[in-house]
Amino acid sequence: MTVGGGAGGAPSAIDAKKLRIYGIGGALVGIYLAAILNSVLGTDIFSILAAAGAVAAAVMGANAVRRVCGYGIGTGVPSIGMLALGMGIVGASFGLSTAEQLGVSMAGVIIALVYAMVFGYIVGAIANKVMGFNIPIMEEGLTDLSGAGAMAIIGWSYAISGSLAYADMVSKVFNTGYLAIVFICGGLAILHPFNANLGPDEKQDRTLVNGLMVGSLAVVAVGLCSLATLSTTAAIITIVIGAAAWYYFYVWYYRLVKRDAAAVVGTGLLPPSAL
Amino acid sequence: MNFDALTIVYILEIVVGGLLVGVGVHFVPVGGAPAAMAQATGIGTGTVQLAAGSGLTGLLAAGLMMSVTDNIWPILASGAVGAMIMIDATMMTGGWIYAYAVGAPFASAKVNYDPITGYSQPPYVAPGTVGQGIPTVCYVSGTIGAFMGGLGGAMIYYPLMMTNHNPSLSALFAIGIFLVNAVLASWNIQGTIEGFHDPKFKRWPKAFRSCLVATLILALVAVTITGGA
Repeated sequence: MTVGGGAGGAPSAIDAKKLRIYGIGGALVGIYLAAILNSVLGTDIFSILAAAGAVAAAVMGANAVRRVCGYGIGTGVPSIGMLALGMGIVGASFGLSTAEQLGVSMAGVIIALVYAMVFGYIVGAIANKVMGFNIPIMEEGLTDLSGAGAMAIIGWSYAISGSLAYADMVSKVFNTGYLAIVFICGGLAILHPFNANLGPDEKQDRTLVNGLMVGSLAVVAVGLCSLATLSTTAAIITIVIGAAAWYYFYVWYYRLVKRDAAAVVGTGLLPPSAL
Repeated sequence: MNFDALTIVYILEIVVGGLLVGVGVHFVPVGGAPAAMAQATGIGTGTVQLAAGSGLTGLLAAGLMMSVTDNIWPILASGAVGAMIMIDATMMTGGWIYAYAVGAPFASAKVNYDPITGYSQPPYVAPGTVGQGIPTVCYVSGTIGAFMGGLGGAMIYYPLMMTNHNPSLSALFAIGIFLVNAVLASWNIQGTIEGFHDPKFKRWPKAFRSCLVATLILALVAVTITGGA
């Protein structure tokens, strides 16, 4: 499974290039593997693979948020997460729609990724050149973020639709409104890790494990949505694997928090005089 | 997809809508976390939350109007009014909390006299803060900003609806375009602004240029998207 590909768990910093390969590679492998296995075997139980791929992309996005916001952008961290998903949703719907019009629905993911990344680069260049941010990694960071947003949207949408065909995506994810859940849960997986862990003692592994944790929660959420659109077996598989992954990463994250905290002290209940 | 004259009009409408959103954000008194603690003037949350809130209300209002008519003017008007109601209700209830719960006098730290009421501001600014609450000028400015934001949102939604005829797809796509412009504008004001009287307001041409380029790229692909099925 590609979930573990996001972070190696090593205390040393993971290179952004390596994370980009894990993120984009994990997302593409996850989505295409799910699409091929589902269509070849005529089932929908492999949709979880696309959701796992989306988690890998979200971790790459969380790392990009961490790098860009480390410079200080003046606004809250949530703004950049919403920007990532805003760019991602445009890229995703453009990619899937164009692929359908060209008659190759499998190419939609690639078109979405390329458009999103090019648009992210342009927005990064605008931020640096026109607004004068002068953040050296702005272009690179927003390219990653935009790509991560598009991959997260497509991956998690696939876990609801069970098909890469644009018509299925529209009828099962857009028209039902489940895309709003993908949008906000995916946004949280990308923006929440750095928002929760920022500060002078922020550590990359703790932030990214938090990203994996929130991403797993998003898998549970899309699993619940897919109860209405896919077979019950597929939905249950997605929910159970998502919940198990959430528990695993939650325990891991708690261990890292304890490692980085100055002290973990039990304060007990309120004193009797306060009650 | 054939690029006829109507398509170019749709692209232009989306671009103008994006620009209205980008410039409209500069009018909304965004206070961020300091305002939530009554240590700065404005509404106590970030630009994106406010822009998304007013934009979504505007889109809902525009969508509702679009279900009864195809005429662009009532659709634009209901989008703008929907967003204005949302922002005004937020500022009013926020103002009650600042006045009756926090107990802070409304004062702007950016001007000596409120440009609308003419009341003196500095005596009421608590030491160590940059103003509190939502003074009259910020309220008026916020209403103008919401008008522009809602108008912009409806102006993005309308051409999308005319090309793909799918309300949910158009709404979510419009939110995407809306968020890109709102975030670019909020970066331009560095997170907080009081309204049109704030010195930061003079930076709007930068946001105008940024949103123009960004929305144009989005608009070119937006009109090619089909409604599916």
